[in-house]
Amino acid sequence: MHIVVCLKQVPRDNSVKIRPDLTIDAEGIEKIINLFDEYALEEGIRWNEQHGGKVTALSIGTSDWVEQLRRALAMGATDALLLSDPAFTQLDPITAARVAAAAVRKLGDVDLVITGRNSTDDESGAFAPALARLLGWPQVTYVGKVLELQPGGMLKVERHLESVIETVACRLPAVMSVIKDINEPRYPSLLKIKRVAKVEPPVWTAADLGLNATDLTPTAQLVERVPPPPRPKGEIIDGPDAATKVRKLVDKLLEYQVI
Amino acid sequence: MNGVLVVLEALGDDLAAISRELLGKGRQLADALGGSLAALAIGPTKAIAARAGNFGADQVYTIDAPALRQYTTDGYVAAAIAAVKAFQPALILAGASFQMRDFGAALATDLGAGLVVDATNIQVVDGALQVTRPSHGGNVINTYRFAAGTTVVALVRKQSFPEAAAQPDRSAPITELTVAELTPRTEVLSVAPKAGAVNLTDAAIIVTGGRGLGNKENYYRLIPPLAEALGGAYGASRAIVDDGWVPYEHQVGQTGKTVSPKLYIAAGVSGAIQHLAGMRTSRTIVAINKDPEAPIFRIATLGVVGDVNEILPLLTEEIKARLNR
Repeated sequence: MHIVVCLKQVPRDNSVKIRPDLTIDAEGIEKIINLFDEYALEEGIRWNEQHGGKVTALSIGTSDWVEQLRRALAMGATDALLLSDPAFTQLDPITAARVAAAAVRKLGDVDLVITGRNSTDDESGAFAPALARLLGWPQVTYVGKVLELQPGGMLKVERHLESVIETVACRLPAVMSVIKDINEPRYPSLLKIKRVAKVEPPVWTAADLGLNATDLTPTAQLVERVPPPPRPKGEIIDGPDAATKVRKLVDKLLEYQVI
Repeated sequence: MNGVLVVLEALGDDLAAISRELLGKGRQLADALGGSLAALAIGPTKAIAARAGNFGADQVYTIDAPALRQYTTDGYVAAAIAAVKAFQPALILAGASFQMRDFGAALATDLGAGLVVDATNIQVVDGALQVTRPSHGGNVINTYRFAAGTTVVALVRKQSFPEAAAQPDRSAPITELTVAELTPRTEVLSVAPKAGAVNLTDAAIIVTGGRGLGNKENYYRLIPPLAEALGGAYGASRAIVDDGWVPYEHQVGQTGKTVSPKLYIAAGVSGAIQHLAGMRTSRTIVAINKDPEAPIFRIATLGVVGDVNEILPLLTEEIKARLNR
């Protein structure tokens, strides 16, 4: 079985700035694999360790991103693939899915694509559903547990939604997005990191994927990007002792009509 | 192509609050676009279809079939596409729950439409739709413009718009649509309520504890009782979830839940940027921390500098006494 895991490059935290041309400035913030995608990777690796096959770590990014793909290899991915092209910057989720779908089609023998429930920077969760539709495959999102996975056969999972758990089955090939409850991702050992330090994953460009400018044109035009309005200045509640402070705090909460 | 289509959600035997919000905003946007407002009730939601007329819809579509008894991506997308063919909307509105995200992103992809998830504002500017959404944990507010003629799917974050007021005398014609050959590729084998489900996202009051509490015993001794006295839910910072004090269900922040209650009490939470990402839009934020330099005070409406282990028991008692609980 061939599992592809889609990994997104995100800033470690969201203390980003906005440039005058409205692009996001994440200079100085470490770039990491999106947290939820690490769970996706772990899930793919675990299955592969038990049953064999291939786990390809796939990512869209610039050439410096190869380092994190090596981390995926050190964790246990068998292959890595970088999709890189100047035209791949600032992609919206559906356009990013179009790029990934072209790569999955080109790989040809893929049974399952796994990715995180959403990225921690964009936060939309639209990538996995968009990818499934573009590939024409069924999708199972927000998966907290895989109950059954048979090569060439059935995928049976638990979808953990806000207040219910759905047990859902579909046939492979399929696209699955996972949540944090599904497993505990491993830390790659130093030895394994060293072993993959010189691996150069293949790089596919837009031309390699048969994508043209129209395929990569977003439907929306970004017209404004601003920081959130500042919160009104707060008030520190003072008093000679804890009991006085608490009494004053409750006075305020009643005054604000929030309790 | 200038109407607005609202995908309805039911709560028990009534419209969900999000649907009333969407009908209210949808009415306003349909008027601005010079079109009409339609509502779509899929599967069992049919039972509350007529209510949409009371809340401003001009037209209601229902689609029911055995395959639509439960949510599946294929079933709901096929149903929505049938309504899109019948009504030709410029804008499709739905909520932003996990299920609606699964649905909305698939629908937008199939339609080649624009997609905005977690929309917090929608406007018509010079005849074109402009939709605003936060990203990067609320640190960036993005506004996208869609050329006239582009269909837009907007999944709206709860409590972004006022709910439409009921107009009991108002009603809307109901048209039943059908979908040919509906065979969803995913099969729902069971739906079970989540044991100990914590609906933090719906809670009006949330009390969150962090590492400042010292240990797990203090958390359970102090945080749930205060939440209970306030009739609220209790949350946790990532640090104490990672340390195993509290289940992940309760985690607020970048990799947990995003919440926006009317009152958020952060006790012993320092306020890492990842935590602030999940709660910064709360109406009133109370911070209790012994470190006056803790970042949480920078966004707090009310701050108390002090030891949570001393303050919280007093606060719980004071609230019980003042609210007669």
